[in-house]
Amino acid sequence: MNRRIGPIVTALVAAALLALLGYGLAKQGPSRALDAAVEAGRQPAAPQVSQALPVLDRLRAQRASISHWRGGVIVVNFWASWCTTCDAEEPLLERTQRALLAGHEGTVLGITYKDVSSYSLSAIKRYGLSFPNLRDADGSFAAAYGTAQLPETFVLNSRLHVVAISRGPIPQAAWLARAISAAEA
Amino acid sequence: MRRAGALGLLALLLLPAGAAAVKQRTSMSLVLPQVMCVTCQIPLSQAQSPQADDERRYIRQLIDRGDTLAQVKSALVVQYGSAVLALPPDRGFDVTVYLVPVVVVAALVALLALLLTRWRRTPRSAPADGAGGSRQLSSADTARLEEDLRRYD
Repeated sequence: MNRRIGPIVTALVAAALLALLGYGLAKQGPSRALDAAVEAGRQPAAPQVSQALPVLDRLRAQRASISHWRGGVIVVNFWASWCTTCDAEEPLLERTQRALLAGHEGTVLGITYKDVSSYSLSAIKRYGLSFPNLRDADGSFAAAYGTAQLPETFVLNSRLHVVAISRGPIPQAAWLARAISAAEA
Repeated sequence: MRRAGALGLLALLLLPAGAAAVKQRTSMSLVLPQVMCVTCQIPLSQAQSPQADDERRYIRQLIDRGDTLAQVKSALVVQYGSAVLALPPDRGFDVTVYLVPVVVVAALVALLALLLTRWRRTPRSAPADGAGGSRQLSSADTARLEEDLRRYD
């Protein structure tokens, strides 16, 4: 009996370590489950829609989740003040916000990623952004979207399902217009 | 007059304690080895990226404001989450960072102890016939051995 305990314990410890290694490796890379579903023509449910994040304003007193804007199109844009490629698409996002507001169709929603809040606020002022912004302080919200590099944009429909994804800068204004039309359909 | 003198003496005695209570400002050289670049996931002291530059700028601001090392680290966690710390916190899944090495070492020690115990129980030279003790020669072998030995005499 004693002779069997040694190999069993060793095998169990080895299996536990391998499982831990596998979990760690799986946790490392960004998830592309949403991309695969959208490419396959499906509209997957947006993750973490109820996760309350701090609203980025001077008071920093409120928290809100994506579900707060349910009922209209939501253009979720991950950005940061340190992201040099984010600058270029801010004017397009601001124009989109004005158009969405004018048609009561939805909103652009900025999510700042791993950014000092005071720096984000300065950038909002500098770009003259009027759309709401939330802070993803620890990156857990972004991780659920597989966001690992900025900027990234997700267009959600009124039921909070993902219709289109842009990893990297928005390719063209026409891409965003098409994605919004698809989300409204 | 005597009371004033006593109060003065008391103030002098308390002065070093008061001075020690004044918070100690930290420095970049103390902070940098203890924090990570949150996007590159390498120590901030080695990171070269726009986000790392921003992080260093923020740390510089905190130091200039007079924050202590603990205050700087705490402010960084508020802004970037616990991943900014070079040493992960000892709670949640991160606790495995501390537990796994202990478990592995304990398992190896237990395994070694088990193997040593078994090795010590095993006789150094196992008898060929498995009966233990020295092997008895048959009468034919004994006769042949004696014959051989006589030849060498």
